[in-house]
Amino acid sequence: MEQRLANTWRMTVNEKKFIESALVSGLRVDGRNVYDYRKLSINFGKEDGSAEVHLGQTRVMGIVTSQLVQPYRDRPNEGTLSIFTEFSPMADPSFEPGRPGEFAVELGRVIDRGLRESRAVDTESLCVLAGKLVWAIRIDLHILDNGGNLVDAANVAALAALSTFRRPECSLGGENGQEVIVHPPEAREPLPLIIHHLPIAVTFAFFSDESTLVVDPTHQEEAVMAGRMTATLNTNGDICAIQKAGGEGVPQSVIMHCLRIAATKAADVTVKIRDTVEAYNTERALRKIKRHSAPVALDVSGTLPNLRKNQVKSEDQREVSGSVGTQVEKLKLMNERKNSDQSNDIEGKVVTKSLEQGGTNSKDGNPRSFIGGPSSWNPYSRGVDSDFLKLSLASRDTSKFSKKQKGSQSEKSTQQASPKGSAEDMKAISPATESAKIASQTHGEKTLKDAVKPKHKRKKKAPSAVDGS
Amino acid sequence: MEIDRADGRNPNQLRPLSCSRGVLNRAHGSASWAQGSTQVLAAVYGPKAGTKKNENPEKASVEVIWKPKTGQIGKQEKEYEMVLKRTLQSICILTIHPNTTTSVIVQVVHDDGALLPCAINASCAALVDAGIPLKHLAVAICCCLADSGLVMLDPTKLEEEKMKAFVYLVLPNSILSVLPEESSSVKGEQMEQGLITSVTHGVMSVDDYLHCLERGRAATSKMSDFLRRNLQPQLSSDSSKAG
Repeated sequence: MEQRLANTWRMTVNEKKFIESALVSGLRVDGRNVYDYRKLSINFGKEDGSAEVHLGQTRVMGIVTSQLVQPYRDRPNEGTLSIFTEFSPMADPSFEPGRPGEFAVELGRVIDRGLRESRAVDTESLCVLAGKLVWAIRIDLHILDNGGNLVDAANVAALAALSTFRRPECSLGGENGQEVIVHPPEAREPLPLIIHHLPIAVTFAFFSDESTLVVDPTHQEEAVMAGRMTATLNTNGDICAIQKAGGEGVPQSVIMHCLRIAATKAADVTVKIRDTVEAYNTERALRKIKRHSAPVALDVSGTLPNLRKNQVKSEDQREVSGSVGTQVEKLKLMNERKNSDQSNDIEGKVVTKSLEQGGTNSKDGNPRSFIGGPSSWNPYSRGVDSDFLKLSLASRDTSKFSKKQKGSQSEKSTQQASPKGSAEDMKAISPATESAKIASQTHGEKTLKDAVKPKHKRKKKAPSAVDGS
Repeated sequence: MEIDRADGRNPNQLRPLSCSRGVLNRAHGSASWAQGSTQVLAAVYGPKAGTKKNENPEKASVEVIWKPKTGQIGKQEKEYEMVLKRTLQSICILTIHPNTTTSVIVQVVHDDGALLPCAINASCAALVDAGIPLKHLAVAICCCLADSGLVMLDPTKLEEEKMKAFVYLVLPNSILSVLPEESSSVKGEQMEQGLITSVTHGVMSVDDYLHCLERGRAATSKMSDFLRRNLQPQLSSDSSKAG
């Protein structure tokens, strides 16, 4: 008992008096205005569904996972959402491991009410087989650093993690459609959750002097405060939850005033969350495209890209990088041979230009510089090797469906084809696949040239299907 | 026989290391250690008054709490806590603050293979950040053994699952002595040759184990250089956060 008392952090009387008297004049210890939030920053982890939120000194990590379970009896068509809060002992010396204290339970309940009972996450879309199998979404919130106002930070962490979480796609199969097949992320793109609105929690702290209230208290202000209130609202103007558990009594006018402030704060935070999630999603989409074109970037720039991307097979890299120098020469020779067509000349210039640019290794730069290439590349204008053509169309075809498995298979098949053929063939094939993959990159960017292409593809589908498999 | 690793490393190559100290504000010492994608956050509080009932009150004690990324604490986490506790107890100078407890809290941020060595490295850095007196630093590494007998260092999660066996090794930091002639020796052997902790999974022959040990030792010199470089510059400007 004495040990625990010795180890708890207690605020000195001087500090308390200082904070209180500063607040009477509207000054906060960290220099903020009374209604200001601390700096909020959201970072995402490597996996989908993991987010870390920094609200000033407070740090909370949110992780979302999913599992297939049996639904509740009274709701056979709905998935479930459960929130687990971990008050890690690293956040505060007074947090003890083991059973959650009353504050931890209260925090969990406030976030739960805001998210689940306001139906922010669509649970009906989580149903797979009515009455038998549904998705259970589990949110783990780890409090890493207690700098005050854990409720708000944990709420933002939960929302950010839910917004970026992707659950595996599953389909019904079997004899009578009763078997559930869960597709791994490599086979089919996992799906995001349907989130109707973002309930944002805003916490107010009241002090013994009746007119003083602050938004987003730090842990020192929390030690001094006499009462607190958390209002969870969304940008539609709905109040999802209000929590005021005891503490100092507060007049009604103050409560209404707080709700109005909370509405503006909720709007700011919602915009912030939406922006960071957008940025993460575009970065994630770019990452997927990069996986296709990583060998391309290699050819062009001649430098090895970040080797941490597991999807790119090391064999491909080594084989391709070995022939970079010769490829550059080969392409130039090829371009000289195509001098008959004017468009091909342009293509040749564009290709060599981008090859020279390759030193900068800008993966964004490559598709831009190659946009001129595929549109002017007319496979029927010159006497092109039919194998070269089939392989390039095959890899373009398969990557168009953006199935990474097939993409890697075609890479394998083209690479396997090359050692079999003569040295010349290898050099001819790899630049072809390179330009084909570049074409597939432009596919991702959806230019008008796409409208022209399908004609060629349909005709060539038969032989390419034979080759691509 | 050459085995191609998925990320293109050769068998003796470690993943990129990164360490940042002082990441948390309330904790007395904290460190975040990442080896490739595996990332662990460690925080240290201490020394706190009093020891637990079954601990020796004449010495300082170390308490470890392991927090997994998701799910409840099970036997695996308890085992990690025990290994970490024993390892850290052997590097802390326990006689300086008797009847105190130093708590080390480990939070797994992402697990992509070699989790326990990453946690040990993170805890060591966090202890330094907190200013807890240590005899020497410890560097931890994972060596895995493929079916062909090839020893690979620092496997990723996929590699760990495919391997025949793997071993976590914790070795003392390499010594940088001011007096080059003298080197501390324990019972006639060099201290650098010592081994603090070794945890094996799977079956391996004695020769393979000794082979892993050699490889691990060679790699730890690189890691201890990294650790030393990382820890040194901030030492002078650190102010005590305890209390």
